[in-house]
Formats: sequence, C-alpha cells, structure tokens
Amino acid sequence: MGPVELLHMSVFSQSFSPCGRFLAAGNNYGEIALFSLSAALSPDATAQSQKPVLTFTAHEGPVFSLLSTDCHLLSAGNGEISAWSWTELIKKNVKPLWTKRPNYKSSLEIPEINSMVMNPRDNSLIVGGGDNNVHVLDLERGVFKLVLQGHSDYVHCVSVREREAEILSGGEDGAVRIWDSRTGQSVHCIEVYKYESCARPQYGKWISCLTTDSDWMLCGGGPSMSLWHLRSLSPTSVFPLTGCQRQAAFHQDMILAVGEGPFLSHCLLGGEVKAQIPCTPQSLNTLQLNTNSTEHRVLTAGGSSDHIDVFTNLSYRAFSLRF
Amino acid sequence: MSPSVFNFVDAKDKFTASAIHALAAKNGKQLVNAFNQIPGNETEKKTTLDQALRGVLGDQIVEQKASCDEYLSLIYLSIDAVTEGICSATTPFLLLGDVLDCLPLDQCDKIFSFVEENVSTWKSNSFYTAGKNYLLRMCNDLLRRLSKSQNTVFCGRIQLFLARLFPLSEKSGLNLQSQFNLDNITVFNKNEQESTLGQKHTEEKEEGMEVEEGEMGEDDAPAPCSIPIDYNLYRKFWTLQDYFRNPVQCYDKFSWMTFLKYSDETLAVFKSYKLDDMQASKRKLEELRATGGEHVYFAKFLTSEKLMDLQLSDSNFRRHILLQYLILFQYLKGQVKFKSSNSVLNDDQTTWIEETTKLVYQLLREIPPDGDKFATMVEHILNTEDNWNSWKNEGCPSFVKERTVDDKPKRPTRKRQAPEDFLGKGPDRKLFMGNDELTRLWNLNQDNMEACKSDSREFMPSLDEFFAEAIEQADPANMVEDEYKVVRNPNYGWRALRLLSRRSPHFFQPTNQKFKSLADYLDSMVSKLAKELPKDIPSEEIKTGEEDDDDNGDNLLKDSNDSPSIQSKMVTNQQMDDMAAKLGAQWKTLASHLEMKAAELREIETDSEDVDMQAKLLLVAWQDREGTQATVDNLVTALNAAGFSQIADSLSEA
Repeated sequence: MGPVELLHMSVFSQSFSPCGRFLAAGNNYGEIALFSLSAALSPDATAQSQKPVLTFTAHEGPVFSLLSTDCHLLSAGNGEISAWSWTELIKKNVKPLWTKRPNYKSSLEIPEINSMVMNPRDNSLIVGGGDNNVHVLDLERGVFKLVLQGHSDYVHCVSVREREAEILSGGEDGAVRIWDSRTGQSVHCIEVYKYESCARPQYGKWISCLTTDSDWMLCGGGPSMSLWHLRSLSPTSVFPLTGCQRQAAFHQDMILAVGEGPFLSHCLLGGEVKAQIPCTPQSLNTLQLNTNSTEHRVLTAGGSSDHIDVFTNLSYRAFSLRF
Repeated sequence: MSPSVFNFVDAKDKFTASAIHALAAKNGKQLVNAFNQIPGNETEKKTTLDQALRGVLGDQIVEQKASCDEYLSLIYLSIDAVTEGICSATTPFLLLGDVLDCLPLDQCDKIFSFVEENVSTWKSNSFYTAGKNYLLRMCNDLLRRLSKSQNTVFCGRIQLFLARLFPLSEKSGLNLQSQFNLDNITVFNKNEQESTLGQKHTEEKEEGMEVEEGEMGEDDAPAPCSIPIDYNLYRKFWTLQDYFRNPVQCYDKFSWMTFLKYSDETLAVFKSYKLDDMQASKRKLEELRATGGEHVYFAKFLTSEKLMDLQLSDSNFRRHILLQYLILFQYLKGQVKFKSSNSVLNDDQTTWIEETTKLVYQLLREIPPDGDKFATMVEHILNTEDNWNSWKNEGCPSFVKERTVDDKPKRPTRKRQAPEDFLGKGPDRKLFMGNDELTRLWNLNQDNMEACKSDSREFMPSLDEFFAEAIEQADPANMVEDEYKVVRNPNYGWRALRLLSRRSPHFFQPTNQKFKSLADYLDSMVSKLAKELPKDIPSEEIKTGEEDDDDNGDNLLKDSNDSPSIQSKMVTNQQMDDMAAKLGAQWKTLASHLEMKAAELREIETDSEDVDMQAKLLLVAWQDREGTQATVDNLVTALNAAGFSQIADSLSEA
C-alpha cells in the first residue's frame, strides 16, 4: 500500500474480537486489518506492534460495517455479507465461512449495506442498506426472514431494543422508524428534522447515527444529535455539537460521539458537552469500546485517516494503530 | 586576711547542692548567694558553676525519672544565672544540647517547643554570639535524626526556628551556589515485572482522592495488570523528573531534544485531558476535610504505572508538575552567578521556553478549583524569586540599613523676604512695579485690604437716602396712592430688604404681626425708620394705620431687649414734675395727644385746683394707664405732636 493510498484511506468500521485481544478494522479499499491489542498495549510495544498482524481484502467495495458474534466476524460491503471465523483469522487463515446477499429487487444495481446489528433474542442479523429496506437474516437457518419496508431513502443505521423486541432504523429520508421485530410492521416513525429544537436545515435531514439504551435513543446526523425518550417519543436534550455526528454510544452516565471534526466529544445526559478530546483523523467515522476484555478495555476511533486512535484513558489519546 | 584559695571540688559541690535547692525552690537566688559566698576568681567560679549545672543535668538524665519540665526548669535556671552574670553564656546551650541528645524524639518535641518560645532570648545580645553556633549544630543534629516524610512538621518547625534566629544574610542558611539536590532520583519501573504497586496498597487510597470516570478505579491492585496502561506516556512522564532534578542537563543539546519531545507530549495530554470540578470529587474533598483534615504530604512521587490514570485526574498532582516546569524555566532563563559560561540558551530554546510557559500558565488557570488565583499567585512568587536571585548574585548584602553620616553642615538657606517688607521701603517711598498701571495702583495704596476698606468704596446707601422717597410717600399729607408707592415695586422691595438686613436693627426684631405682602411689611418698616430720622427733618403727623401698634410693639421689644437708648426709659417722677411745671395750664392740649378721655380730664380738674398739680395728675394718669408703655419716647412724641417741642427736647436731653 503506497503512501498515496494511505493518504486516501478511510476507516469505516471496527469490531473487537470476542476474546477482546484483537481489533478488526475495515477501510474504504475493502480491506480488513487485524490488530493485536495485547501487543500494542504491552510495556515493550514498539512501532511495529501498532501495525496490523493481518490485512486481507474482504470485499470489492468498502467495508462499511463489521460485527462480531461469539465466534464469527461478520463484514458487509457492497451488497453482501461475509462471515469469518475469529479463530481462523487469528491463525491468519482468510477464508470466509459464508457469503450471503439479501434479496434485492433490482439486480442491476447492487445497493451497499451500511449497517448491521445483532438481535441476540432470536439470533438474527438486522441489515440496513441502500435499497431503502431493512433485512432480517436468521443466523440459525441462514435465510432472510423479514424485509422491513418503509423508508423512502437508503438506510444509514440500525439498532435494536431487545426488551421490547423492536428494531430501529435511521435513514437518509430523515425518519427514524421503529419496527416490531416479530410482525415486521412499522410501529412508529419519528421525523427528527420536523422538530425545531433538533432541526438543522443547513445540513439536511438525514439520520446517520442511531443508538439505543433501553428507553433512550440517541440519534443525529443532519439534525443535531439529540436524546429521545422512546416512551414519549419526544426529544429531551439536544447536544450543541458542530458538525454531523456519525456514531454515538452510551457509556456509563456519559455519551461519546464522533463525527465531523477531529475530536471525540464527551457529553452529559443533560445536553452539555463536557469535553472534546483531539484525535488524529480529521473526521471520525467509527467509535468502539472494547467491553470484551478488562485488560484491553480501550476506546478506539477511526475516520478519514489510516490511523486508528486508541484511548486507554477516555480523556486523552494514548497512541494510534496504523494500517 | 589573705584571700582564700579557690577549691574546685569544694566549690562544685556547693554549687551542685545549691542548684538542686534552687530547682526545688524554683528560685535562683540561692545560687546567686552561693556564688557570692564562695571565695575565688570570677572566671574560676563561672566555669565551676557551668560544670556543676551540667553535672546536675547529667544526673537527672541518668536517673530517667525526671520529666521534661524538670529539665526545662534547670535550663531556665541557667538562663537566669547568665542574666545575673554568674554563669557563662554558653551553658544554657550546652545543657540544651545534652538534653536533646539524650532524649527520645517525642520528648525532644517538648524541649524544642521551649527553644522556639524563647527565640527572643536567644536573639538578645548576651546570648546570640555565644550560642548561635551551638544552636545551629543542635538543630542540624535533630534534623539528621528526623525523617522528612514521617516528622515533616517537626522538621519544618526546626527550619522555621533557624530562619527566625538567624538574619537573612547568614551564609550557613543559604544555597549560595544554587546547587541542586542531585540525590533526589525518581524511580519508576521500566519493566513490567518491577511493578511496585503490590506493596503500596494503602497509599493508593490516599492518593486517589478523586475517582473520576470510574473506569479504571475499581480494579484490584494485586491482580496482575488488569487495566490497560499507557506505558509510552508513563515512561516519558517520569523521565521528565530527571530533568527537573538536574536542570543543568538541559543545556546539553541531545538531552534538550529528548526533554522537548517528552514535554510536548505530556503537555498535549494535559491539554486534551481537561479536569473539571465534578460533583463527585467535590463531595469526596468535603469528606476528606471533615475527617481530621490532615493534609497528606508525599515527599516523593509515587510512580507506579497503575496510578498514572488517577494521578492525571488529580488537580494537585498536575499543579505540582506544571509548577516544576515553571521553576525549571526560571532557572534556565535566569542569571545565576555560579552558572558556568556554557550554560546559555540559544534562540530556539528561548522561544520554545516562552511558548511553553504561556501554555503552562493557561493549563494552570484551567485546573479547578480556583485555577486563576493559583496561577496569579504562582506568577507573583516566581517574580519575587527573581529578586532573591539577584540578591544572591550580589553576595547577599544585609538588609539592615546603616544610618547615613551627615558630613556637610547644612547651610542656612536665606529666606526670601515678603513683598510688603521691601516694597515701598525705599528712599522715596515710591514703588515701581514696572508697569504704569500697576505702579499707579500700588502707589495709591499698597495694601489691598486697606484700600478696600476706604470710604470711597462704600457703596451701600444709608437708610436715610434709600428710604427718603418711601418716607415721603408714606406721609399721608402727600396723598400718594398705594399703587404708586415705591414700596410696591418688587425690585425696590428686594433692595430694601437687603439694606434693612445690613443696616437696621428693626429687621431682626420679631413681631407678631403678619404681613400679607412685602409692600405692607415695608410700609411698617418705613414708618419705623421715619421716626428714627434725625430731628432736623420735620416730620409732622406721620401717621400710618399701624403706628400705635408699632409703637407698642417697639416699646415692648425695646424694654425686653434692654436697649441702651434713652428713649425707652420709663418716665421718672422728677421728669414728670419738671414737665408739669413747664406745661402748666396747657396740660389739656397734651391730654388730647395722650388720648385721655374727657371723663378722666374732668376728674383731674376736680381733683386739684393747681394747674401744675393737674398737669402732674395728667401725667400720672397717663403713666398709670400706660404702665410699661409710659416711656420717655412716647411722651416726647406726644409732646412734639402737641407742639411742646422744647419740653420734648428738654425731656429727651435729660
């Protein structure tokens, strides 16, 4: 990979291994790189330990989404989902276990898959993509069992509410739809841009980040990032972050958000921005917290750069992994 | 009798005995008496007493039964003895030294309090020169015995005592050559195996006063490395301490580059990791303050890598590090006499230091609580430090100001004369002011005040002149109508008031009459004035409506005011006799002017045949009727009205 390619690299997705010692990152060239966290975090880490232990091409197009189950790594790129075995990958064996494609209506254009999320209740995979639909894949049987139709433009992000068995999806059309996972019907539709407190017409109406925490939902994108109470379906706090947020997460009593701008924002539930920690990439796409291992419990953030910032302490960047 | 020989042993025993008695009696007189009684040379006796006292103390210590107070009373005794002049000045210090050497540390504390309290005694002339070296040695011995981290307060007390005892320029207390404590090495583990955390479990709790983020704090220390540690930062951070320990290294190019790199990284971490005044930390601080509030002091940094996160989130720790930076920069930039000649900074280094200083101050200001105050305080202290530095460079001159000696006798300065002394005292008494106008003015009258007092400057008119017109108008004979009277003119009225206030006593006499307008008031005033006019102006029949009332009012006031005018006196008998004689048969004419009723007149006529007597009766009746109003003035008026002006004159002249 020459320096020009490195310059134009963007990291779109990340996922930690189930043991927590490895990080898989997908970039816009369709590659997935595996980094060893234990090597990078050890006291005698060198510059070499911050390079991937394994890099392989997974898809033809960019790897927009990565997801880890108990033993598999699922990656999604240009309209297809591939599954890899973690143990095999660690042994540097890059043969995918299977590759599937949801039923797209048109076969001329293959829509990309933007986001995937696991529903552990019924072991299904929820996939949102460029065909304006949300597809549900039953992992046990390996068939797509549901298609949730309702969005009028492509789906950016999906999330799941386990307790209520609901699926949430946010899309380019500015709507956040809540679906019942059993029946496949759209239960609610929230058009965030219609709420004055959140709307930012100068940016647009698209929703690019969506995450839930039982009764609460964070969504953002064109409109300002806002915290919603799902029972009342009303926004409780709006966060004054400049730029559009691409990924957000709940962490203890704080909210971490990344998006446009070279920083990771810490926000409080009340709506104030507590801190903005500077990062290497000029704009960030993905944020992951390693909950699988306590020794390697780090936060990683990647974006429009070949560097992935690693935070051992949430308040400052410790070092960067490089493709 | 030949002088007795001085027997040392004998004398010592006697001193010892009397010292013990003196201690028991808490009175030094016995000792003084013993001293005076024993024959011998002063010096011999003094040294013997010293020995005796030391012996007593030694015995006390050996017995180990004595308490600190007893030692202290012995030392007090020795101080008194020095004041009396029977003991040499070094003895109290020797005794103190002995006591402190032999006692355990907790008792030394009490003895030292005694030393501290009596610092003024030690500083007094009789004790200072003799004792200062002893005191210094004693304190240094104590300091050596004490541990800096365990007995910090005691060490501090000793240092403070030394600071108070010695003047500022005492060289033994100064770090003249600006040397550094090169032994203060910060140890940190460069390998994972050497982690020091396992032993220091308790200190971790004290250090971690604020557990922010909560992320790492819950993990147990004994488990092997259960939290991710940023070794990179850890190593770089603690390596910096070596530069703070020995700043001279910074002048070396290679070490400087390392220092620069590590500092930039560390300060970048500080910059991105902003501390806030979180509620949780506030509560914890209050809890800490509530529990005894003893400030925990660490003589050395705790450098375990597992504490790194906690330390980074601690505001006090940050302040320590940032302050170290500022002190280092001050040293590097400062002019110190004892620096070697190749210890200079080049331009790049200077620029970097300046930029970083600004960053450090900004970071200091951001650290809660009270970041701004702390930063200004630090800046102030470092500025003061510059002064001390230059003081040391000059060789520590003493701060005591010498009284300056006056060499030159003061020449008495010639006082300049006042102008009035020399102006106009010349031969021809003519003043030349250099200017014609001024000369003219000055020669008219030199003294401005005198000139102002001259009559020609009197511009205020007299009452007669001003009121002449009004008086004439008030005369009913002239029949001037009210509206044409000059008293109705407000301008005239105002000026009249002013003039009255300056010239006329009538203005100040209170009257019960209520004047409806200024014109009425002025009318009454004018009538009063008319009466007082000089007699050569004939003013007959000046009757205004209020004349009688005015008369009464005036008389009343005049009587009560006790004015010295002759007119207000009561008519005496003698006067009445005289008048009666002069009046004679014409008394009836006067009667009408005195407003006697016809009935009364008939009565008088029947009373007496003699006309003089009748006149007298008339006057008496008048007097009876008038009472206090029977004044000469009124009588004169009536006489004048009746045409008896000569009688009136003679009356008024009387």
